[in-house]
Amino acid sequence: MAVSPAPTPVPAWQRGRVTSWLVTTDHKRIGLLYIGTALFFFVLAGLMAMALRLQLAQANSDLIGPERYNELVTIHGTAMVFLVVVPILAGLGNYLLPLMLGARDVAFPRLNALSYWLFLLGGVVLMLSFFASGGAAQAGWTSYPPLSVEQAGTGQDLWILSLHILTASSLAGAINFIVTTHSMRTRGMTWTRMPLFVWSMYIFAWLLMAVLPTLSAGLTLLLLDRGISIGPWDIQTHFFAPAEGGAPVLYQHAFWFFGHPEVYVMALPAFGIVSEVIPVFARKPIFGYKAVAFSTVAIGFFSMLVWAHHMFTVGMPNALNGFFMVASMIIAVPTGVKIFNWLATLWRGNISFDTPMLFVLGFLSIFTIGGLSGIYLAAFPIDWQVHDTYFVVAHFHYVILGGSVFAIFGGLYYWWPKMFGKMLGETLGKWHFWLMFVGFNVTFFPQHLLGLDGMPRRIYTYSDESWEGYNLTSTIGSWVMGIAILLFFVNILRTSRTGLRVGNDPWQADTLEWYTTSPPPPHNFDDVPYVTSARPLYDLRRRLREQRGARTSL
Amino acid sequence: MVAASGTFIEWQAVRALLVLAGSLLALVVVPVALGDNGGFTPVEPASPNAEGIHRSWLFVSIFILFIFVLVETLLVLFVVRFRRRRRDRFEDGAQIHGATRLELLWTLFPVVILVAIGAFVFYELPGIANVPSAAAGDRLEVRVTGRQFYWQYEYPNGVIAIDKMRAPAGVPVRLEVVSPDDDVIHSWWIPALGGKIDAIPGTVNETWFEVDDPGVYTGQCAELCGLQHAQMLASVEVLPEAEFDSWLAERRTEQTAGTSELGQETWEGVCAKCHGLSGEGGIGRPLTGSPILQDAQALENVVRNGRRTMPAVGSGWTDEQMEALTNYLEESPPGGG
Repeated sequence: MAVSPAPTPVPAWQRGRVTSWLVTTDHKRIGLLYIGTALFFFVLAGLMAMALRLQLAQANSDLIGPERYNELVTIHGTAMVFLVVVPILAGLGNYLLPLMLGARDVAFPRLNALSYWLFLLGGVVLMLSFFASGGAAQAGWTSYPPLSVEQAGTGQDLWILSLHILTASSLAGAINFIVTTHSMRTRGMTWTRMPLFVWSMYIFAWLLMAVLPTLSAGLTLLLLDRGISIGPWDIQTHFFAPAEGGAPVLYQHAFWFFGHPEVYVMALPAFGIVSEVIPVFARKPIFGYKAVAFSTVAIGFFSMLVWAHHMFTVGMPNALNGFFMVASMIIAVPTGVKIFNWLATLWRGNISFDTPMLFVLGFLSIFTIGGLSGIYLAAFPIDWQVHDTYFVVAHFHYVILGGSVFAIFGGLYYWWPKMFGKMLGETLGKWHFWLMFVGFNVTFFPQHLLGLDGMPRRIYTYSDESWEGYNLTSTIGSWVMGIAILLFFVNILRTSRTGLRVGNDPWQADTLEWYTTSPPPPHNFDDVPYVTSARPLYDLRRRLREQRGARTSL
Repeated sequence: MVAASGTFIEWQAVRALLVLAGSLLALVVVPVALGDNGGFTPVEPASPNAEGIHRSWLFVSIFILFIFVLVETLLVLFVVRFRRRRRDRFEDGAQIHGATRLELLWTLFPVVILVAIGAFVFYELPGIANVPSAAAGDRLEVRVTGRQFYWQYEYPNGVIAIDKMRAPAGVPVRLEVVSPDDDVIHSWWIPALGGKIDAIPGTVNETWFEVDDPGVYTGQCAELCGLQHAQMLASVEVLPEAEFDSWLAERRTEQTAGTSELGQETWEGVCAKCHGLSGEGGIGRPLTGSPILQDAQALENVVRNGRRTMPAVGSGWTDEQMEALTNYLEESPPGGG
């Protein structure tokens, strides 16, 4: 590729330490803004969770009243999904997609900047809704009507507004990822030579495009049911009000048609990270590249056919329940394919246990449990028993926190040296991992048992003292995780001050982002090698070795 | 960087794996051993539908445990066996790109398991979902209404009860589960008596139970329904059939005469959850000594229509039920008043 043209001169005011970040359209800077902002919200939403756990540590506790508890439950869930996991993945995708594809930037850099600033705005609106009249939304992150229609004050309206803004942000980002993947791949990078992380971000983007409009529709109807005033007109609809012929369950369909694919929006890119990290730390190619890539597509497709498994207790005909059970179980097949392929990638490898790999191995062991508990939930008569209990809370935290978030931390440790040129400290990193791993299981494993014993989710207190032991254990675990996360931030600070510079490719990885400098220049690459396989850098190193006759690495 | 300390890493890996295996084992075994609830199974069933769910749970568990052990064992095994040891950090592992037969195997093998699970669920389903088709006379019908934040039960003879249901032993009880149009969604759930079913405004859902052993079975609302969702407790007291019949008949007479426990049940189940048992206040304002408690007309107005943040807890109540409450408050004002 030709040497990039000289950069166009930018006005002086845009080159300041702060202003340059405000006006940036560089996908790497936008990616870092995404990640940093999402980590900030992660701390806020995590502190909310620790407060909730504190309230539940004892029976009949009145530390946090029911009103504040319901606010925290709602905003913790909403923030973790919309302000933490999805945007942090979008941030990684932003940073890595052009680099992995050998491109200069994403297809629409300005749209990309818009997408970030909308995300920030949506997040600020959601967090500030605590100060709204009547407090923040209190109907849970699912916000089912009539409860969500009934809630007085403006918190629920701000919740809807925030989600509308975040939806617009996600759609802009999704369009960018799709077009970039289609049109910006470097020479030689065919679809089956794309990194698996790119595959997963590509399906991530299509899923968002497919399901977010349904959420927007549901939220708009909810807003209209709550009533709005435009100039002289007061509009109040009754889509979900049974007294006027509406149906509350309609909202649930709209919400979950989005909500279940959203789980895979959060999981697929995490799978992508795992598929990048395992081969590098096992020094092997991914086992069954095409099977892993195709299973991503299959999961994306089937995820749109399973939404009503969140609604087995609303009284659907059992024929429908049966359909959604079978569809949900079908997803277990491509998911199993991934797990077995990852295991096979470890087989006969040369495995190193650096922090990124530890997090990914932790992901494997935890996500398996989350996937398996999902089989119980798919079998709808069993779901009638455990639905809306702490069993479900445990299940989705095993999938999203123990799954996605572990993989995200693995990804952050793995790509940190690319983003900043410095390796995050290994000692603190290992402490972070082990505290997180133990803390996670101590927090969430007992919640399975609580759910089986009849403890519903979203209750601010309980009087059954036989639940106290598990709840206290769970609370202690959550604080261990809190300490683990604190160590992560200490690690970041220490690395930024004293971290070692480690060169362009400290892991001897396989994909194009490691070909350029760390951190990469604004234009990413001076030249990009012709891509001959899914592991262009491995091919390069091998050719170099052959030329030099050397036995080991560069 | 880490590459320098070869043997240290190796020991660390082994130690780490031991910690991992040990903590996972402890996490599974210890709570199950200590738990007085049967451990990793749903609550001990007391009704055929709950038994069907319990059997399904156990059947699925066989496969779940098998896959769990298989995957976690392979993971630990591979990680230990293929760790780096004295090899160079960047030395290639075996460059294997895949194996079609293996891929087919681990695609088809889960399919077989899932077919088995699905088949068993459908085999058990009729025993769980279908209300036993006894002659209508041999079956008790109860209408269960979920409301913010109490459960109301209506028996065929017009007897009303709050939160605590009485039911006869050995007789199928069919429940119609509803919520009024001006209320929100609740979910009826007594774990020992079967799965939950939502009480949705505008919808009539049904579930059932049939209990042989007299006793008290407890549960609570399972769908977030507002501030006092956590206090929306329910219980079913199963009485020997004769005892139940006489209770129902007696309650019918008392309810007409205005001497039934309905007034007290209403105070405790409907009012006290927000205003406190002796009216000391809580989420709702304190009622101790409030004149409204002695003013039947004003009380009825508030209870039927709600006021500010208080929901219209008594919209749709019969006059009989309203009088039960006003009579009770007149006779035994909360907090001694």
